[in-house]
Amino acid sequence: MKSKTDKPSSRREFLKTASLSAGVVAAGAVIETGSVKAEGLPKENKNAGYTESDHVKKYYELARI
Amino acid sequence: MRGLDVAEPAVVSEEELSRARLYRLLSRILGAPADAALLEFLKKLEGDETTLGQALGALSEVAGRVTLEEAGREFHDLFIGVTQGELLPFASHYLTGFLNEKPLAELREEMNNLGISRSNDSSDPEDHIASLCEIMHGMIIGEYGASYSLQEQRNFFFNHVGNWAVKFFDDLEAARAATLFMPVGLLGRMFFKIEEEAFSIAA
Repeated sequence: MKSKTDKPSSRREFLKTASLSAGVVAAGAVIETGSVKAEGLPKENKNAGYTESDHVKKYYELARI
Repeated sequence: MRGLDVAEPAVVSEEELSRARLYRLLSRILGAPADAALLEFLKKLEGDETTLGQALGALSEVAGRVTLEEAGREFHDLFIGVTQGELLPFASHYLTGFLNEKPLAELREEMNNLGISRSNDSSDPEDHIASLCEIMHGMIIGEYGASYSLQEQRNFFFNHVGNWAVKFFDDLEAARAATLFMPVGLLGRMFFKIEEEAFSIAA
């Protein structure tokens, strides 16, 4: 078992050398919401009769046309 | 942090954020045909001399060569087809040979436990590679109103996506219809191998 002090820096160091932090993808933070979006619904509402998630709101928006 | 209903991104390190962005990038490319904005974005990618960097550089280069129409056709040939595309990017397919199988059921159960649900109106089952990448992204940045530990991310990764995705990316890179998606396959494979290794360091 690695000591607690070893873990964070090892992982961070590894990810750094693996080039994930190259300015590259950092510049790409502007990618907007993808077409497949998973969203979290509060667990408490799960049994509520009806939850207005984003796509439902969108449907109502479009239905007004 | 679980139970907070604040949906702002958790404070994560730059390295973890980079992982999230790569997952988001993969999710966008694999989830729908590229729009003009995405193609423009891909053209601006720059890679360094690392393997991952080279994959990004290759992706950028090909993105500069294809038209929007060509990219759309390629996406269609790869993933949609008449009844199906050249590839079936679903966990169930890669793990059992059939669609809508136990891996999908297990994924739905896990999503339920994690408090995550599909919000788009796609008719695709949830075990689509793009959807799974989107979930990884959300777990890293705390998009679902909760902070997911590395252990939780690791479990999700190995149980639902890391256990089949490299094979998919191999197939993608080798696919007949792949031009833009060839470097996507390489990128995915390299990134997922890094993820695998990084998770074992943290274990």
